[in-house]
Amino acid sequence: MTQSLPPKNLVLYADDDPDDIELVSEAFSIYSRSIELLTFRDGIEMLSYIESINPFQAAPCLFIIDINMPRLNGKETLRRLRSLEEFSEVPAVLFTTSTLPWDESFARNFNAGFVTKPLHTNQVHQIIDQIIDHCSDEVKKLIRRRKGNSDN
Amino acid sequence: MPQELQFEILHKHGVYVGKRKINKQTIVLFQLHGFYVEVFYKQYRKTIDQLITSEDTEILQPYLEQIHIRDLSGGKNKK
Repeated sequence: MTQSLPPKNLVLYADDDPDDIELVSEAFSIYSRSIELLTFRDGIEMLSYIESINPFQAAPCLFIIDINMPRLNGKETLRRLRSLEEFSEVPAVLFTTSTLPWDESFARNFNAGFVTKPLHTNQVHQIIDQIIDHCSDEVKKLIRRRKGNSDN
Repeated sequence: MPQELQFEILHKHGVYVGKRKINKQTIVLFQLHGFYVEVFYKQYRKTIDQLITSEDTEILQPYLEQIHIRDLSGGKNKK
């Protein structure tokens, strides 16, 4: 008997800081049964990937975008992402070192969350939970249920 | 003030200035209400070794030096 595995939820993350990519990848590894995290070094790389997605591939369920990136910063990436009809409603989070209110209001204006990068370990999982909270209810439930199963 | 509260204030209100490395240690500089705070990590964004505070702009120097390197390398090291 063959049993097909349920599809994973695709999360795309753009950040030019390899240390932060490593940190987030490690934090997301506890959700590896239900999430596939794809990382990109800047907004251009992420948008190129998005534009190359064909109808037979899994569509992303969440975008995580750093603000300060070379070539194309996170705000411009978000703006361009929202101009693409098929991704205009997909949950997105600006994940940044910024605490500036105008960056937060920019995120809000483009229907995105705003999460400041953690300072130390106690905040890491709390912040990953905050990021996952931006997923649709259906995806959130699935992710947390599968995480629960893997904890047992 | 308890250390946990200090971290929380820095996380919520600190303005990120830059990041540098000495050997394998990562150091991040924030500006907070008119002074500077350098966070020395044992493990980046996980374990903090120590916090150093200063009002002296001299603390900016190593971060400013990185900008010159960045310009010369055509922005490849930009963060």
